[in-house]
Amino acid sequence: MYEKAPGRLNITNAENVGGVERKKWEEVFLRFGHPFPTVVIDRVEELERGKKIKAVKWVTADELYLSGHFPGEPIMPGVLTLEGLIQSALIFLEESFTRGNIRISLEKVERLRFKRAVLPGDRLDFLVSLTGKEGNLWKFKGKAQVGAEVAAEADVILKVDVREVGFEL
Amino acid sequence: MMENREIQSILPHRYPFLLVDRILTIEPGKKATGIKNLTGNEWFFQGHHFYPPSLLLESLAQVGGIVLGSKAKEENPLVHFAGLFAGVSEFQFRRCPVQGEQITLQVELTQSLASIYRFAVEALVGNEKVAGGQMLLSFIKNPSGGPKRSSAGGPG
Repeated sequence: MYEKAPGRLNITNAENVGGVERKKWEEVFLRFGHPFPTVVIDRVEELERGKKIKAVKWVTADELYLSGHFPGEPIMPGVLTLEGLIQSALIFLEESFTRGNIRISLEKVERLRFKRAVLPGDRLDFLVSLTGKEGNLWKFKGKAQVGAEVAAEADVILKVDVREVGFEL
Repeated sequence: MMENREIQSILPHRYPFLLVDRILTIEPGKKATGIKNLTGNEWFFQGHHFYPPSLLLESLAQVGGIVLGSKAKEENPLVHFAGLFAGVSEFQFRRCPVQGEQITLQVELTQSLASIYRFAVEALVGNEKVAGGQMLLSFIKNPSGGPKRSSAGGPG
Protein backbone atom coordinates (compact mmCIF):
# COMPACT_ATOMS: atom_id res chain seq x y z
CA MET A 1 0.00 0.00 0.00
CA TYR A 2 1.36 3.41 0.82
CA GLU A 3 4.85 2.49 1.80
CA LYS A 4 7.63 4.93 2.21
CA ALA A 5 10.89 3.89 0.67
CA PRO A 6 14.02 3.85 2.83
CA GLY A 7 15.57 7.24 3.21
CA ARG A 8 13.93 10.38 4.39
CA LEU A 9 12.61 13.56 2.98
CA ASN A 10 13.65 16.84 4.36
CA ILE A 11 10.48 18.85 4.38
CA THR A 12 10.78 21.51 6.96
CA ASN A 13 8.25 24.14 6.12
CA ALA A 14 5.01 24.52 4.30
CA GLU A 15 5.38 28.20 3.54
CA ASN A 16 6.87 27.69 0.10
CA VAL A 17 4.40 28.26 -2.65
CA GLY A 18 4.11 27.26 -6.27
CA GLY A 19 6.32 24.84 -8.11
CA VAL A 20 8.92 24.21 -5.49
CA GLU A 21 6.50 22.86 -2.98
CA ARG A 22 4.48 20.92 -5.50
CA LYS A 23 7.62 19.07 -6.49
CA LYS A 24 8.26 18.15 -2.89
CA TRP A 25 4.78 16.74 -2.41
CA GLU A 26 5.07 14.76 -5.59
CA GLU A 27 8.18 13.25 -4.10
CA VAL A 28 6.20 12.36 -0.98
CA PHE A 29 3.53 10.61 -3.01
CA LEU A 30 6.08 8.78 -5.12
CA ARG A 31 7.49 7.34 -1.97
CA PHE A 32 4.06 6.25 -0.86
CA GLY A 33 3.44 4.71 -4.28
CA HIS A 34 1.18 7.50 -5.35
CA PRO A 35 2.63 9.15 -8.43
CA PHE A 36 1.44 11.66 -10.96
CA PRO A 37 -1.95 10.78 -12.43
CA THR A 38 -3.70 10.48 -9.09
CA VAL A 39 -2.03 13.28 -7.17
CA VAL A 40 -4.92 15.56 -6.34
CA ILE A 41 -3.21 18.14 -4.18
CA ASP A 42 -1.63 21.29 -5.54
CA ARG A 43 -0.53 23.13 -2.46
CA VAL A 44 -0.48 22.92 1.31
CA GLU A 45 -1.60 26.16 2.89
CA GLU A 46 -1.58 25.43 6.59
CA LEU A 47 0.00 22.69 8.58
CA GLU A 48 -0.01 22.26 12.33
CA ARG A 49 2.06 19.26 13.28
CA GLY A 50 0.02 16.63 15.10
CA LYS A 51 -3.19 18.60 14.67
CA LYS A 52 -4.44 19.59 11.26
CA ILE A 53 -3.66 20.39 7.66
CA LYS A 54 -5.23 22.47 4.95
CA ALA A 55 -4.47 21.60 1.33
CA VAL A 56 -5.74 23.03 -1.91
CA LYS A 57 -6.70 21.62 -5.29
CA TRP A 58 -7.63 23.76 -8.27
CA VAL A 59 -10.10 21.94 -10.47
CA THR A 60 -9.66 22.53 -14.19
CA ALA A 61 -11.42 21.21 -17.27
CA ASP A 62 -8.48 19.56 -19.05
CA GLU A 63 -7.72 16.99 -16.39
CA LEU A 64 -7.41 13.42 -17.59
CA TYR A 65 -10.26 11.88 -15.63
CA LEU A 66 -12.74 14.63 -16.48
CA SER A 67 -12.80 13.46 -20.10
CA GLY A 68 -14.67 10.36 -19.00
CA HIS A 69 -16.51 11.75 -16.00
CA PHE A 70 -18.58 12.73 -17.84
CA PRO A 71 -18.16 13.35 -21.61
CA GLY A 72 -19.38 16.88 -22.25
CA GLU A 73 -20.28 17.39 -18.62
CA PRO A 74 -17.18 17.47 -16.44
CA ILE A 75 -17.69 16.84 -12.72
CA MET A 76 -14.84 16.12 -10.33
CA PRO A 77 -15.26 12.45 -9.33
CA GLY A 78 -16.33 12.19 -5.71
CA VAL A 79 -13.90 9.38 -5.01
CA LEU A 80 -11.02 11.64 -6.02
CA THR A 81 -12.24 14.18 -3.48
CA LEU A 82 -11.87 11.37 -0.95
CA GLU A 83 -8.44 10.66 -2.41
CA GLY A 84 -7.50 14.30 -1.78
CA LEU A 85 -8.51 14.00 1.86
CA ILE A 86 -6.44 10.83 2.21
CA GLN A 87 -3.44 12.44 0.52
CA SER A 88 -3.70 15.43 2.86
CA ALA A 89 -3.58 12.96 5.74
CA LEU A 90 -0.50 11.32 4.17
CA ILE A 91 1.34 14.64 4.08
CA PHE A 92 0.20 15.32 7.64
CA LEU A 93 1.66 12.00 8.78
CA GLU A 94 4.84 12.48 6.82
CA GLU A 95 5.29 15.80 8.59
CA SER A 96 4.38 14.46 12.03
CA PHE A 97 7.04 11.75 12.06
CA THR A 98 10.54 13.04 11.99
CA ARG A 99 12.33 9.74 12.25
CA GLY A 100 11.89 6.11 11.30
CA ASN A 101 10.24 4.63 8.25
CA ILE A 102 6.48 4.67 8.15
CA ARG A 103 4.11 2.40 6.33
CA ILE A 104 0.57 3.64 5.92
CA SER A 105 -2.49 1.84 4.68
CA LEU A 106 -6.09 2.87 4.43
CA GLU A 107 -7.96 0.86 7.02
CA LYS A 108 -11.49 2.12 6.97
CA VAL A 109 -13.79 4.83 5.70
CA GLU A 110 -16.32 5.15 8.48
CA ARG A 111 -18.56 7.76 7.03
CA LEU A 112 -18.39 9.57 3.75
CA ARG A 113 -21.01 11.95 2.39
CA PHE A 114 -21.01 13.91 -0.81
CA LYS A 115 -22.99 17.12 -0.59
CA ARG A 116 -22.18 19.20 -3.61
CA ALA A 117 -20.83 18.69 -7.12
CA VAL A 118 -17.34 20.08 -7.75
CA LEU A 119 -16.96 21.63 -11.18
CA PRO A 120 -14.03 22.92 -13.26
CA GLY A 121 -13.14 26.40 -12.06
CA ASP A 122 -13.73 25.58 -8.41
CA ARG A 123 -11.06 25.70 -5.78
CA LEU A 124 -11.27 22.73 -3.46
CA ASP A 125 -9.96 23.08 0.08
CA PHE A 126 -9.15 19.91 1.98
CA LEU A 127 -9.37 20.42 5.74
CA VAL A 128 -8.16 17.39 7.64
CA SER A 129 -7.69 17.09 11.39
CA LEU A 130 -6.55 14.31 13.64
CA THR A 131 -9.32 13.28 16.02
CA GLY A 132 -7.97 10.21 17.75
CA LYS A 133 -5.40 7.49 17.96
CA GLU A 134 -5.76 3.90 19.09
CA GLY A 135 -2.62 1.84 18.84
CA ASN A 136 -1.51 2.11 15.24
CA LEU A 137 -4.89 3.33 14.01
CA TRP A 138 -5.10 7.06 13.41
CA LYS A 139 -8.49 8.59 13.01
CA PHE A 140 -9.03 11.65 10.84
CA LYS A 141 -11.94 13.92 10.17
CA GLY A 142 -11.88 15.48 6.74
CA LYS A 143 -13.91 18.11 5.03
CA ALA A 144 -13.65 19.22 1.41
CA GLN A 145 -14.96 22.70 0.78
CA VAL A 146 -15.63 24.92 -2.19
CA GLY A 147 -15.58 28.39 -0.69
CA ALA A 148 -17.82 28.10 2.36
CA GLU A 149 -19.86 25.22 0.96
CA VAL A 150 -19.06 21.70 2.06
CA ALA A 151 -18.56 19.37 -0.92
CA ALA A 152 -17.73 16.20 1.02
CA GLU A 153 -17.21 15.02 4.58
CA ALA A 154 -15.38 11.90 5.65
CA ASP A 155 -14.20 10.03 8.72
CA VAL A 156 -11.16 8.01 7.74
CA ILE A 157 -8.97 5.60 9.68
CA LEU A 158 -5.39 5.03 8.56
CA LYS A 159 -3.12 2.33 9.84
CA VAL A 160 0.38 3.59 10.53
CA ASP A 161 3.31 1.31 11.27
CA VAL A 162 6.50 2.95 12.33
CA ARG A 163 9.73 1.07 11.92
CA GLU A 164 12.53 2.66 13.78
CA VAL A 165 15.79 2.24 11.96
CA GLY A 166 18.58 2.97 14.40
CA PHE A 167 19.98 6.43 14.53
CA GLU A 168 19.14 8.81 11.79
CA LEU A 169 20.19 12.39 11.59
CA MET B 1 -24.23 -11.28 -18.49
CA MET B 2 -23.54 -7.85 -19.85
CA GLU B 3 -20.59 -6.82 -21.98
CA ASN B 4 -18.79 -3.53 -21.78
CA ARG B 5 -20.71 -2.13 -24.73
CA GLU B 6 -23.99 -2.63 -22.96
CA ILE B 7 -22.55 -1.16 -19.75
CA GLN B 8 -21.77 1.99 -21.72
CA SER B 9 -25.40 2.24 -22.79
CA ILE B 10 -26.41 2.44 -19.12
CA LEU B 11 -23.57 4.37 -17.50
CA PRO B 12 -22.47 7.80 -18.76
CA HIS B 13 -18.88 7.05 -17.66
CA ARG B 14 -16.19 6.70 -20.34
CA TYR B 15 -12.44 6.31 -20.48
CA PRO B 16 -10.57 6.96 -18.22
CA PHE B 17 -13.27 6.66 -15.63
CA LEU B 18 -15.22 3.60 -16.70
CA LEU B 19 -14.03 1.20 -14.04
CA VAL B 20 -16.05 -1.95 -14.61
CA ASP B 21 -15.38 -4.37 -17.47
CA ARG B 22 -18.17 -6.88 -17.50
CA ILE B 23 -21.25 -7.86 -15.53
CA LEU B 24 -21.40 -11.60 -14.85
CA THR B 25 -24.78 -11.90 -13.17
CA ILE B 26 -27.44 -9.32 -12.66
CA GLU B 27 -30.89 -9.11 -11.12
CA PRO B 28 -32.03 -5.62 -12.12
CA GLY B 29 -32.96 -3.56 -9.09
CA LYS B 30 -31.55 -6.14 -6.68
CA LYS B 31 -27.97 -7.25 -7.10
CA ALA B 32 -25.13 -7.79 -9.51
CA THR B 33 -21.66 -9.23 -9.81
CA GLY B 34 -19.17 -7.43 -12.00
CA ILE B 35 -15.51 -7.77 -12.81
CA LYS B 36 -12.63 -5.36 -13.24
CA ASN B 37 -9.35 -6.59 -14.63
CA LEU B 38 -6.17 -4.83 -13.65
CA THR B 39 -3.58 -4.66 -16.38
CA GLY B 40 -0.27 -2.85 -16.46
CA ASN B 41 -0.95 -0.11 -18.97
CA GLU B 42 -3.84 1.60 -17.20
CA TRP B 43 -3.40 5.26 -16.40
CA PHE B 44 -3.35 4.88 -12.61
CA PHE B 45 -0.58 2.27 -12.88
CA GLN B 46 1.95 4.81 -14.16
CA GLY B 47 4.77 4.13 -11.80
CA HIS B 48 2.90 2.17 -9.15
CA HIS B 49 1.39 -1.22 -8.83
CA PHE B 50 -1.78 -1.17 -6.78
CA TYR B 51 -5.37 -0.21 -7.49
CA PRO B 52 -6.07 2.95 -5.47
CA PRO B 53 -8.75 2.31 -2.80
CA SER B 54 -10.72 5.33 -3.91
CA LEU B 55 -11.03 3.92 -7.43
CA LEU B 56 -12.11 0.59 -5.97
CA LEU B 57 -15.00 2.48 -4.36
CA GLU B 58 -15.84 3.99 -7.73
CA SER B 59 -15.86 0.53 -9.39
CA LEU B 60 -18.33 -0.72 -6.81
CA ALA B 61 -20.47 2.40 -7.17
CA GLN B 62 -20.60 1.89 -10.93
CA VAL B 63 -21.88 -1.68 -10.51
CA GLY B 64 -24.51 -0.23 -8.15
CA GLY B 65 -25.39 2.29 -10.85
CA ILE B 66 -25.87 -0.57 -13.32
CA VAL B 67 -28.21 -2.39 -10.88
CA LEU B 68 -30.43 0.70 -10.62
CA GLY B 69 -30.03 1.80 -14.23
CA SER B 70 -30.89 -1.58 -15.75
CA LYS B 71 -34.06 -1.70 -13.65
CA ALA B 72 -35.10 1.77 -14.81
CA LYS B 73 -34.37 0.84 -18.45
CA GLU B 74 -36.39 -2.35 -18.10
CA GLU B 75 -39.40 -0.33 -16.99
CA ASN B 76 -39.05 2.35 -19.62
CA PRO B 77 -36.30 2.13 -22.28
CA LEU B 78 -36.46 5.87 -22.95
CA VAL B 79 -36.10 7.00 -19.36
CA HIS B 80 -33.53 9.60 -18.38
CA PHE B 81 -31.80 8.95 -15.11
CA ALA B 82 -28.84 10.11 -13.09
CA GLY B 83 -27.02 8.12 -10.47
CA LEU B 84 -24.94 9.97 -7.94
CA PHE B 85 -22.48 8.69 -5.41
CA ALA B 86 -23.96 9.89 -2.12
CA GLY B 87 -21.70 8.29 0.44
CA VAL B 88 -20.11 5.36 2.20
CA SER B 89 -20.51 3.86 5.67
CA GLU B 90 -18.27 1.49 7.57
CA PHE B 91 -16.12 0.61 4.61
CA GLN B 92 -13.21 -1.62 5.52
CA PHE B 93 -10.14 -2.15 3.38
CA ARG B 94 -8.06 -5.30 3.86
CA ARG B 95 -5.53 -4.82 1.09
CA CYS B 96 -5.22 -3.16 -2.27
CA PRO B 97 -5.63 -5.30 -5.38
CA VAL B 98 -2.51 -5.22 -7.52
CA GLN B 99 -1.61 -5.34 -11.18
CA GLY B 100 -2.45 -8.69 -12.77
CA GLU B 101 -5.46 -9.47 -10.62
CA GLN B 102 -9.13 -9.67 -11.38
CA ILE B 103 -11.49 -8.01 -8.93
CA THR B 104 -14.97 -9.41 -8.45
CA LEU B 105 -17.38 -6.67 -7.48
CA GLN B 106 -20.47 -7.82 -5.60
CA VAL B 107 -23.25 -5.39 -4.95
CA GLU B 108 -26.62 -5.98 -3.33
CA LEU B 109 -29.41 -3.51 -2.63
CA THR B 110 -30.40 -3.61 1.03
CA GLN B 111 -32.57 -0.56 1.56
CA SER B 112 -34.20 2.22 -0.39
CA LEU B 113 -35.41 5.46 1.11
CA ALA B 114 -36.95 7.92 -1.33
CA SER B 115 -34.19 8.47 -3.90
CA ILE B 116 -31.38 7.14 -1.70
CA TYR B 117 -30.36 3.50 -2.13
CA ARG B 118 -28.20 1.61 0.31
CA PHE B 119 -26.06 -1.26 -0.92
CA ALA B 120 -24.00 -3.93 0.77
CA VAL B 121 -20.86 -4.19 -1.33
CA GLU B 122 -17.87 -6.47 -1.41
CA ALA B 123 -14.74 -6.68 -3.51
CA LEU B 124 -13.00 -10.02 -3.89
CA VAL B 125 -9.85 -11.28 -5.54
CA GLY B 126 -10.42 -14.98 -6.09
CA ASN B 127 -11.95 -16.03 -2.79
CA GLU B 128 -10.16 -13.43 -0.75
CA LYS B 129 -12.20 -10.50 0.42
CA VAL B 130 -10.19 -7.32 -0.11
CA ALA B 131 -12.75 -4.69 0.86
CA GLY B 132 -16.35 -4.39 1.89
CA GLY B 133 -18.93 -2.16 3.48
CA GLN B 134 -21.99 -0.12 2.76
CA MET B 135 -22.52 2.36 0.01
CA LEU B 136 -25.18 4.99 -0.66
CA LEU B 137 -26.29 5.96 -4.13
CA SER B 138 -28.81 8.57 -5.00
CA PHE B 139 -30.77 7.80 -8.13
CA ILE B 140 -33.10 10.20 -9.86
CA LYS B 141 -35.37 9.28 -12.74
CA ASN B 142 -36.36 11.98 -15.21
CA PRO B 143 -34.45 14.68 -13.41
CA SER B 144 -35.55 18.17 -14.29
CA GLY B 145 -33.77 19.56 -17.33
CA GLY B 146 -33.04 16.19 -18.91
CA PRO B 147 -30.02 14.09 -17.98
CA LYS B 148 -28.22 16.91 -16.19
CA ARG B 149 -26.36 16.03 -13.06
CA SER B 150 -24.57 19.20 -12.13
CA SER B 151 -26.85 20.83 -9.61
CA ALA B 152 -28.23 17.71 -8.02
CA GLY B 153 -25.57 17.06 -5.43
CA GLY B 154 -22.56 14.83 -5.08
CA PRO B 155 -20.91 13.37 -8.13
CA GLY B 156 -20.86 9.72 -9.03
